[in-house]
Amino acid sequence: MSQIALFLGGAVVAHGIARRWGLPATPLLLLAGFVMARAGLLPPDLLQDALVLGLTFLLFVVGVELTPRRVRAQRTAALRVGFLQFTTLGLLGTLTSLALGFDGLTALYTGLALTASSTLVIIPLLQQRRQLFEPYGRLVTGVLLVQDVLIILLMPLLIRLPGGWPAVLASLAGTTALLALAFLAQRSLAPRLARLHADEELLLLGGLAVLFAFVGMAHALALPVAAGAFLAGVALSPFPVSGLLRGPLTPVVVFFTAIFFLALGGLLTVPGPRELVHALVLVLVVLVVTPVVVTAVAERSGFTARPALEAGLLLSQTSELSLVVALHALLLGHISPDSFSVLALATVATMVLTPYLTGEARLNALLRLHPLAGKDMEEGTQSNHIVLLGCGSGGLPLLETLLAAGEEVVVIDDDPEIITRLRQGGVACVHGTASDPQVLRVARVEKAMLVGSTIRRPRDNQILLESAPQVTVLVRVFDEEDALWVEERGGIPVLYSAAAADEFNQWFKATFAGPGDTGNRPGAAPDTRAQHPEERPRSDPGE
Amino acid sequence: MLDPAILFDLGKIVIAAMAAALLARVARAPAIVAFIVAGLLLGPATGLLEPTAAVHLITETGIVLLLFLVGLELSLDKIRDVGRVAILAGLGQVAFTACGGFVLSYLLGFGVIESIFIATALTFSSTVVVVKVLTQKGDLDTLYGRIAVGIFLVQDLVVIVALTLLSGLGNPEELTAATVARSLAAAFGGMALLLGAALLAARYLLPPLFAWMSTSTEGMFIWSLGWCFLFVMAAEWTGVSKEIGAFLAGVSLAQLPYSGELRRRVHPLMSFFVMVFFVSLAVEMELGAAGEHWAAAVLLSVFVLVGNPIIFMAVIARLGYGERTAFFTSVTVAQISEFSFVFAAVGLSAGLIDAAVLSLIGVVGLVTIAGSVYMILYNQPLYAFVKRRGLLRVFGARAEPEDVAEEDLPGGHVIVVGMNALGRRIVTDLLDRGEEVVAIDTDPFKLAPLSSRKVLGSAEDPSVLAEARLERAKLLVSALQIEDANNLLAYRCRNAGVPASIHAFDLALMEELRANGADHLMVSKSAGTKRMARLFRAKGVLE
Repeated sequence: MSQIALFLGGAVVAHGIARRWGLPATPLLLLAGFVMARAGLLPPDLLQDALVLGLTFLLFVVGVELTPRRVRAQRTAALRVGFLQFTTLGLLGTLTSLALGFDGLTALYTGLALTASSTLVIIPLLQQRRQLFEPYGRLVTGVLLVQDVLIILLMPLLIRLPGGWPAVLASLAGTTALLALAFLAQRSLAPRLARLHADEELLLLGGLAVLFAFVGMAHALALPVAAGAFLAGVALSPFPVSGLLRGPLTPVVVFFTAIFFLALGGLLTVPGPRELVHALVLVLVVLVVTPVVVTAVAERSGFTARPALEAGLLLSQTSELSLVVALHALLLGHISPDSFSVLALATVATMVLTPYLTGEARLNALLRLHPLAGKDMEEGTQSNHIVLLGCGSGGLPLLETLLAAGEEVVVIDDDPEIITRLRQGGVACVHGTASDPQVLRVARVEKAMLVGSTIRRPRDNQILLESAPQVTVLVRVFDEEDALWVEERGGIPVLYSAAAADEFNQWFKATFAGPGDTGNRPGAAPDTRAQHPEERPRSDPGE
Repeated sequence: MLDPAILFDLGKIVIAAMAAALLARVARAPAIVAFIVAGLLLGPATGLLEPTAAVHLITETGIVLLLFLVGLELSLDKIRDVGRVAILAGLGQVAFTACGGFVLSYLLGFGVIESIFIATALTFSSTVVVVKVLTQKGDLDTLYGRIAVGIFLVQDLVVIVALTLLSGLGNPEELTAATVARSLAAAFGGMALLLGAALLAARYLLPPLFAWMSTSTEGMFIWSLGWCFLFVMAAEWTGVSKEIGAFLAGVSLAQLPYSGELRRRVHPLMSFFVMVFFVSLAVEMELGAAGEHWAAAVLLSVFVLVGNPIIFMAVIARLGYGERTAFFTSVTVAQISEFSFVFAAVGLSAGLIDAAVLSLIGVVGLVTIAGSVYMILYNQPLYAFVKRRGLLRVFGARAEPEDVAEEDLPGGHVIVVGMNALGRRIVTDLLDRGEEVVAIDTDPFKLAPLSSRKVLGSAEDPSVLAEARLERAKLLVSALQIEDANNLLAYRCRNAGVPASIHAFDLALMEELRANGADHLMVSKSAGTKRMARLFRAKGVLE
């Protein structure tokens, strides 16, 4: 009992610090484990079990969450960015390690470990910033997916490398067999588990039974436990089962991964000056190579500079998977404890830096360094025109209505596909984002008659609202809070939530209100709620 | 290489348990019985599994978490109501069963020391079994459920005294009135100390701490576990059982607005660990010498299954409770505890009893645990059966009117998930129309201002939907902007046969939502665009 209490004590402190400073919990758990081990507070007899169990659950959930569905339209871009980032960073990481004097095997492990970016760090950040469903959010999700798959497939081969080619080939055959089994289970087992209509307890038990069955098979095939756990997750990744499992699985995973990272921290050696320098070099490699490669390839795939760079910065850290790779190598004696500590140190540093690096201020500063910053932008000559900011699936009907009415319209959008399509249709377009003053200048926003902004995040309209105070700006908002914010800055908020609620009300009335039901209830009369704040005459004297 | 022993142990347990649970579903047998059968197969039958220290740690943690959950569920006020009956009935039952068991064993031909052991083993009922079944049945918060929990807490205190006496039996010279008094004083003093700490913390410490942490669900979950184990450690230091410590930790968190959410998070972890507990309980059963005393085993099992409830019925009926409550409570004590096995094993290693007695206690344990699970699950028909024969009249309990199932939600209500701007507006609109509305959100602050009924928690969780009476609702509306949750809600609604109106916050999501069973989609983007076009017209464009 006291062992678990100690582990939990460390986790409590780490989560407290993470909350206080707005950092991801993972690196802090590692540090807490490191400190506790130094103080003799980590129970040594449980370390092995904590590592094995934590690793199993961690990889299982990575597999369960592996949903290519989420990537959607960014599939091609994600594949391209993912592969190029993986190979470039892997190669440069290996070469750097060799240059630092690591032996060949250690260098290969280091290269592989560096390529992964952290799902545990990135996804919560994207969720928190509500960017998971934006094109670049989907791109990042897709890149993570590509990395996960590549690492899990390469790791079994790498750990057999010292055994020579026959061992590697055997491992390859084993991985392929288990992969095939996972896909088979996706078709047959996963839907069956969902059809059981079991309560959460039985469902969790079923999911874990699949997990342990795959882990057992992986062991029989001499594959790492991690690969078995991951493929078990893949087997259960189709919807509904993945969704049904998420509820009961999450607390179990949170518990075991917390203990895993603490135990892992306990394995770290005290770094000497040499290890610190090595870790620093690896951190620099990750922080330079990933943003550059991702930004360049994402732009080549049609993203504009800002979201491309945002994706690059978000992906610039090493991952819990890096630690898994390093842990396997350490326990097999393929790398030294010092090399393991170097990798862990680099992971801690890059993870802690991520929230800072992806901040708005950093992004704007870096954008100014962009080689193409401000080029290929010719200011138009329009005046008294209409500017549409954002013209995705939501804005398109509006554009069509405007064009049909013969209005002169300039569209600003950051989606390259949309811009290309619109330009082909003869629409005046500016490729870029609302927070870029130059884009606004090129679209001649301050000379416009009316601006309609349908971009997702209302607060990105700040520069627009500030730079064109005399122009009427209609802004898409969802929350009342944002509506207030827009109003305070002289814009006119269009409450999409209210619009959707009104449509819902109409549907509800038509579907559920039987005859005689509409009689004497307050608010049941049609359209009494049609007067929404933004449609009332505005109180400013100018109207 | 990683030592995967723990994975093999857990794997065998999980897979055997899943197989048994699936069979049990077909045979309509309770899950606990299935787990015990799985354990018997892995242990006594085949010897496939020999649980390690780590497995034992998991089982202990399971018991701790179970009691933590009970505390989270039952506020102290609810326990206080039943305090008197719990103490009187608990002590009364302990005294009577101990005496009856001793006499019975002695008459069956066992020696004095052996009879003392058997009697003590028969006295204690299993908190884990009963609480698990009550939770599953949803009866934990009924009057009889609360009385049962109170009784078990009293028994836990008695266990500590019994353990002191037992260690005294080993070295009789240490067994003096002073030692017993000291251990009693320590136990009750420790209990008072912990209770005071729990109450003070609940009032002054925990509300601000958890409010601060509430933005991170993961952090809050880890903190609550940390708090639980802090009390478990404190209980160990003060000589109170760890179950009582965990229970008090739960009680101190029960008043927080997040207790429901915490409960739902702790539950899956507990159910996994408790499953391991039941399986390994049966695995370690020493049944080798069971044949020797088969007649005694039958008689003693009957004594526990029938005699115990009768003793109890008599005590509770004296305390003025109704016949039904008295009967339901009595049925809960019709089994012996896992502690009885530990107790007997200690006796064996001290040389006070032989292996045959240990096996006897094992058999009685298995029979009574399995039997009482059925009795508790089917306590209604059992009550009706016994009552029809007039068997209860002898106890002279006052007749009790049939519980009218309190159903505060008659059905036909609308469930609204996600209290963002859209969800809030829909709730107000529906309330204006005179609809009965249940609002669901994970954030207590978002629910606070609403005047509808509220359920706090993640709507992905089936127990949250059950609390909102999904099966009786006329419609579920999800305003959430979480893709996976919306798909899952659509799927669950289709399964429950309830229409669903789901927020398709991105046009790309519509197809999948429809495929998963959404009857109506709130497409906020297109509704918003239409509204924006209207506003364009109002501004003089698009004439």
